[in-house]
Amino acid sequence: MFSLIAVGLNLQYGVTRILNIAHGEFLMVGAYVTYVFFTSYGVNPLVSFVISGPIGFILGILIQTVVFRRIVQVSRFAEELESRSLLACFGLTFIIQNVVAEIFGSTPIGASYLNVSINLLGERFQLNLIVAAVMSVIISLAMYLLLRFTSIGLAMRATSEEPSGAQLVGINIFKIHAVSFGLGALLSALAGSMLVMIYSNITPYIGPQYTFIALAVIILGGMGSFIGSLVGGFCIGYVYYISLEIDPLITLAVVYSFLIILLIIRPKGFFGR
Amino acid sequence: MLRIKDVNLTKILPIALILVILVFPPYFLSVYYLTIVRNLLMWIALSISWHFFSGYTKYISLGSAAFFGIGLYFTAKYLQLSTVGDFPVLPLPVIVLLAGLVTFALALVIGLVTLRLRGIYFAILTFSVSIVVSNVINWWEITITGTRGTYFPLFDSQTAYYAIFACTIVTLLLTTLLRRSKFGLALKMIGECEEAAAHVGVNASLYKTLGFAISAMLIALMGGCFATRLSGYVNTDMAFESLYSFLPAVNTLLGGMGTVYGPIIGSITVSLLSEYLRVTLTHYFLITLGLILIAIVMFMPDGIMGIVEKIKTTKLFRIEKAKVPEKPP
Repeated sequence: MFSLIAVGLNLQYGVTRILNIAHGEFLMVGAYVTYVFFTSYGVNPLVSFVISGPIGFILGILIQTVVFRRIVQVSRFAEELESRSLLACFGLTFIIQNVVAEIFGSTPIGASYLNVSINLLGERFQLNLIVAAVMSVIISLAMYLLLRFTSIGLAMRATSEEPSGAQLVGINIFKIHAVSFGLGALLSALAGSMLVMIYSNITPYIGPQYTFIALAVIILGGMGSFIGSLVGGFCIGYVYYISLEIDPLITLAVVYSFLIILLIIRPKGFFGR
Repeated sequence: MLRIKDVNLTKILPIALILVILVFPPYFLSVYYLTIVRNLLMWIALSISWHFFSGYTKYISLGSAAFFGIGLYFTAKYLQLSTVGDFPVLPLPVIVLLAGLVTFALALVIGLVTLRLRGIYFAILTFSVSIVVSNVINWWEITITGTRGTYFPLFDSQTAYYAIFACTIVTLLLTTLLRRSKFGLALKMIGECEEAAAHVGVNASLYKTLGFAISAMLIALMGGCFATRLSGYVNTDMAFESLYSFLPAVNTLLGGMGTVYGPIIGSITVSLLSEYLRVTLTHYFLITLGLILIAIVMFMPDGIMGIVEKIKTTKLFRIEKAKVPEKPP
């Protein structure tokens, strides 16, 4: 699941060069959408994917076209773009968090689903964890196929590699930016839907924590590398759960130390260009 | 270095006047306004310290919270231990200075290792450092000493005000002096083009590391002074709050990167704005703040100083000021 969040963020950064600090917020929105449909209409969380995903997608496109498009247009170089979009994302984080907090209050929520233990290969697992893992793999695979074999995927990859070149051969890069931003938000929202099945401590303020895990993952895997995000996600997830076993208090410290050491040894990540 | 004949009286006088006025607030301002002025000073100092390194070299650091927290924690811990009698009792400024020196040494080490990275990698790395430090201290407290947080003696609000005021002045003086020296020039040059700087004989890694450490030390000094305004208790969540990492950056970006007054104006704007919104729109204050932030980025991307520069370069002012510093293309 870490992979899933990270793939979305990586897509956004890779194509648009905007580091979306508000990425975790889309996850939180996805979680809340699923929660609302689960509690008030009794919709199966797995089915509500088809609702939370498109909502994330539309939200992402909307934000991209309204806010970031202008920022991209007025920025002269990449550094400027990065610092400005960082600032804008901050604003976005504030807005989304507090709008959600205004509507739903800040008490933790959860839509516990499939919360039963099953035996698999001699180990006890929670069924919803397995479902989430399988879903993550399926969605990641779908994403990979989309990027690899469709024309819009090709256009996205072209834009991420050489924006001006892509523009020259007739790709509307603003459209591509919007779509990839939306897709990133969609993936994040889906991850949120899964999260709400598993944990019952979802509040409007969980976003940033997942944003930074996602950041850690894409840095580990290498910026702009799809496979890297998957591998990085598994690595971080593995380190995360091992340290959780040892001592829950030290988890974050261990994960981030791991990241720091890796950054120092291999600054571009596993699959960095 | 700074020489007497270089000092421009018309520039110095207003600043000196403001500083002199700021000496007296505890005597006539109510507690509420005193708190506002104090927080204002704190954010100004933090933003300036942050800007001193990150603004000039363009290495965006998001780890200020680590240094702020270490300064704060060191001071609190020392105060606690000295009241128990484990450590000799020292006056507050000495303790704060010690905290600064400890952070300086630490940041030197961190800088040596991390400053090979650039851009977004450096930002993430510094942010990770702040999380690691915070969590390790938290873990240490809970599993080894068995308590959460640190208790230390209280200070009255006047001491708190003067501590933070003094720290702000120290920060202002030190950064101004260093900015005008060869050191500041070297940092600026690294920001413009590191390769060229190294080529003409600037020891880039030395200056980067030192600059990083000095900036960290100033942030830690402010952290130490901040201990005086807390109500005798601090834990890691309070000391290492990520706000201390982000807000200096936001303030500076808003005010204008690479300008002298940018961080100051940015901090004043953000602090007063958020205070005003907090009072008038209690519920929607963060939402409004977010909207304003986005609006600023969209419509005045160079920050407030960018607009000031623009006004200066219009026809009206060009006559009296012939040479406007050109922005690099």
